Amino acid sequence: MKLSNFLFVLSFLLICGSTFAQDILVEAESFDNPGGWTVDPQFEQQMGSPYLLAHGIGEPVKNASTVVKFESNGEYHIWVRTKNWVPGEWEAPGRFQLKVDGKTLDTILGLRSGWGWEYVDKISVSNREIDLELVDLTGFDGRCDAIYFSTKNEEPPSSSKKLAEWRKNVKSEPNAPSITKEYDLVVVGGGLAGCGASIAAAEQGLKVALIHDRPVLGGNASEEIRVHTLGIYGNFERILKKIDTEHYPNGSADAKLDQKKRDDNVKSYENIDLFLNYRAYDAKAENNSIQYVDARHTSTGERIRFVAPRFVDSTGDGWIGFWAGAEFNYGRESSEAYGEVWEEHGELWTPTEPDDAVMGSSVLWGSKETNAVQEFPEVPWAMPVAKEYARVAGEWQWEFSSPDHNQIDDAEDIRDHMLRAIYGSFANAKKDSLNANRKLEWVSSLVGKRESRRLVGDHIFTFNDAKEGRKFPDGVVIEVRDVDIHYQTVLEDEENPDFISEALFYKTPEYYIPYRSLYSKNISNLFMAGRNFSCSHAGLGGPRVMRTTGQMGAAVGFAAALCEKYDVNPREIYTGYLDEYLALIEEQKFEKIPESKK
Amino acid sequence: MRILFSIGLLFFFFKDNDAPLKTMVQPPEYYVLEWQEGTQLAEEKTDFYIEIDSMGRQDVHALLNERSVPVLYTADISTPVCADGECKLMNIKFYWTLLGEYAGFDRYPMMPLTKHDHDEFKEKDYQKLHKLLEDDKNLMGRREMEQLVEKPKMRTVNGVDAVSGATIARVKESVVSGALYSCYTAWHLVHGDIQEQLKANTLSILDKQMTLDMLYSINPEYQIFSMENMETTDYKEHYEQLAKVFRTSTPLVRSIIIKRLTGKFKDKPDLQKPFWNAFDQLDTSSRSLMIKYLNEAPDYVSEVLSEKLGSMSKNQLKGFLSYLAENDALNTETRNNILEFSKSKSQTYAFLAEEFLEDL
Repeated sequence: MKLSNFLFVLSFLLICGSTFAQDILVEAESFDNPGGWTVDPQFEQQMGSPYLLAHGIGEPVKNASTVVKFESNGEYHIWVRTKNWVPGEWEAPGRFQLKVDGKTLDTILGLRSGWGWEYVDKISVSNREIDLELVDLTGFDGRCDAIYFSTKNEEPPSSSKKLAEWRKNVKSEPNAPSITKEYDLVVVGGGLAGCGASIAAAEQGLKVALIHDRPVLGGNASEEIRVHTLGIYGNFERILKKIDTEHYPNGSADAKLDQKKRDDNVKSYENIDLFLNYRAYDAKAENNSIQYVDARHTSTGERIRFVAPRFVDSTGDGWIGFWAGAEFNYGRESSEAYGEVWEEHGELWTPTEPDDAVMGSSVLWGSKETNAVQEFPEVPWAMPVAKEYARVAGEWQWEFSSPDHNQIDDAEDIRDHMLRAIYGSFANAKKDSLNANRKLEWVSSLVGKRESRRLVGDHIFTFNDAKEGRKFPDGVVIEVRDVDIHYQTVLEDEENPDFISEALFYKTPEYYIPYRSLYSKNISNLFMAGRNFSCSHAGLGGPRVMRTTGQMGAAVGFAAALCEKYDVNPREIYTGYLDEYLALIEEQKFEKIPESKK
Repeated sequence: MRILFSIGLLFFFFKDNDAPLKTMVQPPEYYVLEWQEGTQLAEEKTDFYIEIDSMGRQDVHALLNERSVPVLYTADISTPVCADGECKLMNIKFYWTLLGEYAGFDRYPMMPLTKHDHDEFKEKDYQKLHKLLEDDKNLMGRREMEQLVEKPKMRTVNGVDAVSGATIARVKESVVSGALYSCYTAWHLVHGDIQEQLKANTLSILDKQMTLDMLYSINPEYQIFSMENMETTDYKEHYEQLAKVFRTSTPLVRSIIIKRLTGKFKDKPDLQKPFWNAFDQLDTSSRSLMIKYLNEAPDYVSEVLSEKLGSMSKNQLKGFLSYLAENDALNTETRNNILEFSKSKSQTYAFLAEEFLEDL
């Protein structure tokens, strides 16, 4: 283990009566070499940490390895924090083992229901260090959060509250990050909205931090999720063309080509500091104004405090607003709340009584034909979800939402439900001799979300704003795309798979989103762009696609530049500087004449 | 010339708008509603018709029950189906519900539907057509015919080739193989402007009995419509039928009932019993929604649900247990049920019950 990585293997001495116990916590995501395991930080806020995932789509992944150093030799008990992601009457799908100094320990891991500690074994450490490996046995998404060594036979706590406190103690982690960085604008979330905001602000001279919890930019449009961008460019064609995608089929590997374009373009701005693989975990507001955002590297655990006069929440889940105390909505308003009735589809469009239903998350996937017979293992644990459904690829309809799952709190269960749907449906398809040579090629491990928290702004954009093409003095985002709301087909027939959705399209005229839907109503220095902008559930149906969210980002970036120029908050751009703001946006429609040609 | 002649000939033989009106004593061969033995429906003219190019008006008739109120609408349709410059006639009798939704069709034994290659429809093809017509949200409703015959784009970047034009592929899956044009024509006839006209007609003559009849139907659209138009007193009077609908209908219908259950029966908590008793017979989404209404539920519900812990998902169990903890709603019987569940080796979430009892 490199010295620089010691941050995550901090030991502490526990005084227990007259004896000393040594404890070492190894965060799996900080392994020197993750091998074929991937770092999964998506559910940190729910289960406590990024973790390593053996996402081998049916083939065991290469071992992850690291070196663990000990303060002293001795006998150590080992626990692993893990979970069986499909508990039931079958062999757990995500089984793995530990290997210590080249010797595999017998205990099979990944068997317990719910995140918690599994006892592994007692080992003897004689050279103050060991080689530690994770050995995946299945390729079906085994997961390891951390490995804990202790001279004392005492299991660490499992409850999430106690665990967080315990972790802090074990790692001797101070409350505040030791590094602080200051910017003109901090953008959290590097999807199309965050990229658009960063570019627009940077072009106006702002020093921007863009924080993103993945290694690549684009969010749902990235090569990791592979949804194509829809919608129009509106006022921001030049910027959006730097970051959008071609109209390839969802799930297509074409996403890789656009990935390079997007990453290169964003990185080309000298005044955008890009913090890839950093995930924000807190935002602090005083007097309804955000003072800072804290973020942590998803592998090394390095923490940075970001200070700025203004922030953009383009996290999708509205995390910055949530932590800062911004008003937000989740679920469907009643049809009466904003008069968003579409009689033809009644309850499926907007309900008579409000509820927590939202559009679901997708996990895309694909397979390919090969020249030889390809085996795919039996997946009995997937069948209660897939049932008889048989497919060789997934598209946008592969979507899951249910009253049993909150899109934020239960995102891991949602991802796992989709994985069961995918593996099971592919296993069913493989029973057809026509698919004998077909091989599972790619399954995303990321949930592509459509809807969760919607932060509240000075204006809440509704279906009627779109339906009537309402004009606003501050209508900075333009769209023509139909309002398109999804629902789960199982609602209409219990026999349908619960992971397949249907879309209801309402044809609209050109419509406009006002700037007032892009900053928080009660947090004075917070912009929002992307699917967490200020809208109703039905209002989100149209502008949730990524060129539109990119437009929101760009609109916010230019507003941030004016905020900086006049030292004002987002609302004051509307109340005091709207003409200048609109003129600035108007300028974006035209290529500037180079100085040399004037 | 050949095309025009054949259409004219068929029209001469089979299309007769002045034919005497009939009484219907059997259900349509393909039908989405229930049909009670002995039902007789009398055909009656309406002001509605479907205009078909080169064929003219095709009248829509109402089918009346013994109270002389409509229960269905129907039309004999002759329509050309044209593909690649060749046209054939499609003859079919469509039925619509009172709300203008597709209700079924009859074929004419002497004039079977045919595919593009002139093969006659087989039984499974008719069934597929029936299923397609039932699907009122089929994406073909938003597509021109030309868009559906385009080849889906296939990409082969880096070896992934199994993803394709999802919409087109999905539409094609839903139609009768080799009969895309017939299916497209039929779907658009059934789901055209006539739907709104028929629904408006029904609304203009709607009475209480018609509304209640819909509650006693197996059609989810009827059930929802009925619930929207019922008085609170009707809910109480017909609670047994509502409970039957609750057990047997779709999750969507259930969700509406659940949202109203504690409110409509607030002063008659006992009437809620059959609904809560059905908890473990429901789909998981409906169970989750019920858990969200526990705060408004009668006291006895805690005990009822404590007997059904094994049917709960992780979140349902968490929701139920935290409701008990927050509301001091734990009697001895409920506690014993939870204790028994917590000791079960076969229950995945027994540990949640164990933790709950530990924290008491």
